[in-house]
Amino acid sequence: MSAAWAIFKKELRVWFVSTLAYVFLGAFLFLAGLFFVMGLQQNGEASLRAMFSNLSVSLLFLLPLLTMKHFAEEERLGTFEFLMTAPVPLWALLAGKWAASLALCGLLLLLTGVFPLMLALYGDPDWGVIFTSYLGLFLCCGAFVSAGLFASSLTDEPVAAGLGGVLMLLPFWISGGAANLVEWEPLARTLRHLSFLSHVEPFSTGVIDSAHVAWFVLFTFAFLFFTWRSVESRRWR
Amino acid sequence: MTLQSPAALGDVVVEARGLRRSFGRLVAVDDVSFTARKGEILGFIGPNGAGKTTTMRMITGYLPATEGKATVDGFDVFDDNLEVRRRVGYLPERPPLYPELTIGVYLQFVAELRGLPRARRDNRIGEVMERVGLAGWEDRVLGSLSKGYRQRVGLAQAVLHDPEVLVLDEPTSGLDPAQVVDIRDFIRDLARDRTVILSTHILSEVERLCENAVLIARGRVLAHGSLDALRSQVDRGVRFRVELRPSAAEAAQLAPLVGALPEVEQVRPVIGDLDVPEGFLALDITAAADPRTAIAALATGRGWAIRAMERRSPDLEEAFLHIVGKEGHTQAKGEGR
Repeated sequence: MSAAWAIFKKELRVWFVSTLAYVFLGAFLFLAGLFFVMGLQQNGEASLRAMFSNLSVSLLFLLPLLTMKHFAEEERLGTFEFLMTAPVPLWALLAGKWAASLALCGLLLLLTGVFPLMLALYGDPDWGVIFTSYLGLFLCCGAFVSAGLFASSLTDEPVAAGLGGVLMLLPFWISGGAANLVEWEPLARTLRHLSFLSHVEPFSTGVIDSAHVAWFVLFTFAFLFFTWRSVESRRWR
Repeated sequence: MTLQSPAALGDVVVEARGLRRSFGRLVAVDDVSFTARKGEILGFIGPNGAGKTTTMRMITGYLPATEGKATVDGFDVFDDNLEVRRRVGYLPERPPLYPELTIGVYLQFVAELRGLPRARRDNRIGEVMERVGLAGWEDRVLGSLSKGYRQRVGLAQAVLHDPEVLVLDEPTSGLDPAQVVDIRDFIRDLARDRTVILSTHILSEVERLCENAVLIARGRVLAHGSLDALRSQVDRGVRFRVELRPSAAEAAQLAPLVGALPEVEQVRPVIGDLDVPEGFLALDITAAADPRTAIAALATGRGWAIRAMERRSPDLEEAFLHIVGKEGHTQAKGEGR
């Protein structure tokens, strides 16, 4: 456990010492502000629905850039060898890295809290809906981070890992749109089920449906498991 | 130069048997076996690309062996990998540093990862930094360090948890001569109650530090044993070198005349040594007993001048080139400087 904690702190430290974390926070907050204003102008109601939906799509593109360094960079620096010869179980390594990325996401979401607060100054937002929307977004982050970790474990080239992560996640976005083009209902339903948007949007109606929560949890653990296998197999290559 | 007698060595701590590792069709290491005891510094020496790093990686459990097995303190490096990791301190070929972190933060991270109790961490880090010559450098950023300092931090990282076994892959590479002396002293200190396995392509390093060595080339162990045994594999007799100035008429007879002495087994004229002045001839002599008195008598009797007569022990480099050459690995020439 203490090893996972050490990894967790190290990851955050490396981000905040370099400019990456700040650029990332800045970019995300800028986008959030943009979506906030656009959403208000279009709908004219005290809701953050448009912002949340747009942010979840932005995360799909941004999070792999945050996670791309996790394993790819360790390999390049030679620190992967160090981690694999230190008494750190693989689960602790994965947990530390995953949790560190998620913690940064948490900070990100926390900072977007200014938008609901602004809303509260001029209108009367539904706090329950805002809470569930954040929960949905947070689950989304966990899933995307886990896929990003997997992408990073496949290569020792961080940029390739970043792009690979985006490519890996794209089908889970596009499939929603593709579902509308398909006539055959069973396939359309499957495609819709694959799309993360169809699972994150219900959260912004104020409903916490265990089926949707389960989808994200399953997604997260599936990719963590793939990462586990991929890191294990590295030593054999 | 040996510092401890074999009797002082303790139990076998590291044992490798028939290690083999292939990458696809390339066999990097084949049938490597050796043992290292407590209190021993075992040198792994061989030309670049000989399989030293691959072997180090297998002992630490980082690379699984394709065949064979290795144990550390009785624990299998593969099956009981975590136990082995706890007992081994490892300095990889490239020091594993995070360029964004400072030395202090980095060593704190290592200490935590290694499970050092919080109360002992600061003391231990200070102690180790002092010992490797990093005192007062806590706030330096790793990414800005020179190669020698990176190497020191790498070494500090490896010894921080006071491991029973130290595996050091080229520990003195990139250090300047004064630092090399420091670090060698440090390694010698460490080995008093530990086992140190170090790889190097610098022969003098093995000669200065190790009692036993494994000679490796092209992935195979060519020789394994004490340095003395390795040296004697080259030459069983005692060797001498003399420099004499015979009269011009006798120059051609010098070698046969010396060779005729009863103590002398073999004589080889040394050609092309610029250090030998005009008129003098240098001879390499292998002898069963010290022939110097006899040679002096011969020279005095004939009126030859004597410039030098010295006893030579074969150095490791000769042994190395001899053994490597015997196996037909001519590529090893030029290595080992």
